[in-house]
Amino acid sequence: MVKKSSKSELAPIWSWKITALSAALLVFVGILAISFGPVKIEFLQIICTLLGLPGGLSGQERTLLIDLRLPRALLAALVGAALATSGAVYQTVFRNPLADPYLLGAAAGAGLGATIAITSAGADLYSLLPIFSFIGAILAVLVSFFISGKFFAEPNSLLLSGIAVGSFATAVQTYLQQRNSNSLRPVYSWILGELTVANWQKVIWSSIYIFIALTILITVSKQLDGLMLTDEESYSLGINPNRLRVIAVIAATLATATAVSASGLIGFVGIVVPHLVRGITHRVTNRGLLTIALVGASFLVLADLGARTLLSPAELPIGVITAFVGAPFFLVILRKKRLVK
Amino acid sequence: MIKVTDLAIRLGGRDILRDINIEIQTGKWTCLVGPNGAGKTTFLKALLGLQPYSGSITDGEKEVFKNHDRNVAFVPQHPQIPIGMSVSEYVMLGRSKRDGWGNESSKSRNLVADILKLTELFGMQRQFVSNLSGGEMQRALIARALVQEPTLILLDEPTSALDLHHQISVLNNIELLKERGVTIISTMHDITLAAMYAEQIVVMQEGKVLLTGTSDYVIHSPELKSAFENRINVYTLESGRPVIVAKKEAR
Repeated sequence: MVKKSSKSELAPIWSWKITALSAALLVFVGILAISFGPVKIEFLQIICTLLGLPGGLSGQERTLLIDLRLPRALLAALVGAALATSGAVYQTVFRNPLADPYLLGAAAGAGLGATIAITSAGADLYSLLPIFSFIGAILAVLVSFFISGKFFAEPNSLLLSGIAVGSFATAVQTYLQQRNSNSLRPVYSWILGELTVANWQKVIWSSIYIFIALTILITVSKQLDGLMLTDEESYSLGINPNRLRVIAVIAATLATATAVSASGLIGFVGIVVPHLVRGITHRVTNRGLLTIALVGASFLVLADLGARTLLSPAELPIGVITAFVGAPFFLVILRKKRLVK
Repeated sequence: MIKVTDLAIRLGGRDILRDINIEIQTGKWTCLVGPNGAGKTTFLKALLGLQPYSGSITDGEKEVFKNHDRNVAFVPQHPQIPIGMSVSEYVMLGRSKRDGWGNESSKSRNLVADILKLTELFGMQRQFVSNLSGGEMQRALIARALVQEPTLILLDEPTSALDLHHQISVLNNIELLKERGVTIISTMHDITLAAMYAEQIVVMQEGKVLLTGTSDYVIHSPELKSAFENRINVYTLESGRPVIVAKKEAR
């Protein structure tokens, strides 16, 4: 008998080096983002300030960094992580490579929920906004499901019903917005998907909800792979498919709703990032979910940097940047997957 | 032993299965045969423990419904093929229950490599399952079931999509499981093949068990012909092996 070497002939399904690399990418992109802007701050000074070392910033520059750029970058990272992860999870649960928080109507539902909250109570209920968004989003996802008729089978009908539900929610939202012209400005700036109003309060409450949602999703991430199979197969592999689906959809929708209520509607992150990570690593497994979250965070931090600097001193809405990158990307995937038969 | 007592399943106001009372020997190969719509697939799902039923199915004294302690492999006739998943990822899913989800041991990786070789899939592990041919996909399914190291394997028409050469290779792979003491229950359209491999044959018709017994007994029984409305002939080859041939009806 040939003695087997301890090293297998088979590559591991997921290499944690990729995850470490994407974490490093996020740190790098984060520092890049907070150092650029109308006022440029040196890398070294940023690091000294953040670590409380001598040689750090003081006065106006310190305020600029700590109270403006840092919360903004953190919020972008949180939102990016939430959108990318929930996109990846929706794609697995609905067995549909094109599923995305936006295409399922979840984001529009969240937007409607948040608009109802803002128009009826004023804009200062930050911490409750995600709850309203969540209710709106989960209702939208359920309605999309029921209209499409087939729960987890037919990709195209689910997307089409998601688009219809999303349009309906957006229409109701616009109506509410126009009727309550006194709150038009906050609602409008929020719809465009802006991180300009980022502050520490917003960062803290969104990080709580997003942390809960992502912890749940990453905990079940490895089992999620089983949902790509038939129920009989996944059951025989030791999972309870229906329970897992419910957990995954609720957590992904909570993440989406929090992201939407923190930053408005930012499209395409949920579709670009998972496909990018899966394409590069050649792995579809949800063990890569943490990596998808990290890359999603980097992606949105970068997009926000673009939004702040491309037309400086004016700002582009971040949703414009993600759509500019995402829409062509979406078309490429659509063509590649040949979903349109 | 798997003991089925008064099993009945009603779905959408229709009796899919009724009055089923059989015993299935462990460590043996049992084949469910019968025309389409006889309830074979539903029976397999009930044996898996996912399909609610009335009556009783016990596997080693324990009721099978929602019993997650058992390690049962399931090979569906129409698998859901995950987009973008590589063959090695796909086969590795079979280790999920053994290793815990996602903790893949080096033992698992070695086992998967061995099984890929056994099923002639080694070298294709980086290919996407969605790009496999029918025969390769079937082998990938069998490979996943093999790495699961189950005590019972349920196969729904494991050979229906295959040419003769691949039918034999898949069936031989399944037979390897028997040597390891695994109980095999499969549905199969081809009764000749069923008789060649299975020890026990269960003939089903309209949700009922028409006939059950050893392959030899069943295949020579006149009731088999009536199950197929007398549209088959049974011949015996010189080697003593029975062959079942569809009758061409005179117009």
